[in-house]
Amino acid sequence: MQPVTDSSVVSKVVPTRVAILGAGRGGTALLDLLHLIPSIEIVGISDRDPGAPGLVRAKNLRIPVTGRIEELVYNDGVNLIMDVTGDPDVERFVQLHKRPETEILSGSAARVLWELVRHEANLQAELFHAEKLAGIGSFAAGIAHDINNPLQLIMGLAENLAEETDLKAVHEQAREIIEAVRRTSAISRDLTQYARKTSARDETIVLLNNRLDEALKIARYAVSFHDITVHKAYKESAAARGNPDEVLHLLVNLITNAVQAMEQGGGTLTLATEQSAGAVTLQITDTGCGIGPAVLQQLFEPFFTTKAPGKGTGLGLYNVKTIVSKMRGKIDVESGVGKGTTFRIRFPSVTENET
Amino acid sequence: MGEFTSGFFMGDGATNGRVLVVDDEADIRKVVRMTLQKAGYDVLEAENGEKAIETINAGENRLLLDILICDIRMPKINGVEAIAYFRANYPRVPVIVLTGFPDADMATSMLRQGVVDYLVKPVEGEKLRESVARAMEQRELAHL
Repeated sequence: MQPVTDSSVVSKVVPTRVAILGAGRGGTALLDLLHLIPSIEIVGISDRDPGAPGLVRAKNLRIPVTGRIEELVYNDGVNLIMDVTGDPDVERFVQLHKRPETEILSGSAARVLWELVRHEANLQAELFHAEKLAGIGSFAAGIAHDINNPLQLIMGLAENLAEETDLKAVHEQAREIIEAVRRTSAISRDLTQYARKTSARDETIVLLNNRLDEALKIARYAVSFHDITVHKAYKESAAARGNPDEVLHLLVNLITNAVQAMEQGGGTLTLATEQSAGAVTLQITDTGCGIGPAVLQQLFEPFFTTKAPGKGTGLGLYNVKTIVSKMRGKIDVESGVGKGTTFRIRFPSVTENET
Repeated sequence: MGEFTSGFFMGDGATNGRVLVVDDEADIRKVVRMTLQKAGYDVLEAENGEKAIETINAGENRLLLDILICDIRMPKINGVEAIAYFRANYPRVPVIVLTGFPDADMATSMLRQGVVDYLVKPVEGEKLRESVARAMEQRELAHL
């Protein structure tokens, strides 16, 4: 077994300790990006408006929040102040009262920076969406199968009803038609929900077991589950904080890969969740072909793919890792060639976040 | 493996022919059965390629099967593999593909392998019966 983790950045750099002044759109965009960078520590964020959106977000990220800008300006743990309030009074105050060794990024410089950050966030959202849509291209066979089979049933029953004289059979078959229509309409509902563009900021508590079941349903369009046994080992009410649509996207990617790894000869797909002190773990295990050490090293790199041209974007696992990082999680892989692969994701537990 | 015409064995009260329907969905097998029974065919069912091969090799089916109607996307032995088996071992049994996926490449490849018709669900009863009737004619011509 070859374990690999995503902690490729081993940082010996002295962290930049940042205070963010202003928790509006600019402050929120900065938070979203800066908290992902290991060499940056966000000491705190401040806004005089207690309802500013960035303050709620900071609480979820477990970043200290204060209503008093002065507290952060005087804080001797801070070596960079980022002022995105756009308020000339704040700017003057910071210039006058900051400690001499603390640097300032403010005014139009700060504005340019957060515009860049927001641009980057939008690009990332576009990338998620593009990769998801590319994946949906492979759903065609599954969708056709799932729509045309009930249509055949409906056609056959309706043709029979046109001649049927036994009233009991008429009632029975009419019910079957209604049931087949319901099943078919669920397909477009599932898929339109999955295909929609996600708003990157919609963070909430995500019930992982529910997402796994949903992802299983979606993945069935992408890959054939024939000869595959699905085993679920769920810990009740396992939850993490994140965007439910992004979690679904991540899980569809992992499940699809797992099933594709078992294309030759079938196998067992195990979906597991566990909850321990401070962390929730999600595991997706297949008994498929496994991943060789050379591929394992490059697994999460953008545009890396082992699939045939036109079959994969090379962005699936890259996006999986990005989503996990956004949720402050960690992903690692264990694989043995010919034995199978386990993707293990650890998220901070929700109960701890909530307090 | 020898083959005989089904007509050879037909006695009084015989059907118009014996058709094996291979599809993993019981609903599909049911409506195809309903549709073909109305036209006087005797219908056998199998839920995948493996069962289809078992069925044709069981008892008198080997001798009496006239037509195979086969789905493509199925568990165990899928349609492509099952059809290859039937074409190799029972070349005189015409094969009709009845699939949920309109795939031109697959259709071309199937027709090249000697499949007599490639039907995409949902297919109207009349069209299915016509296709089976045409296949029956071919089956009989093959024995002249």
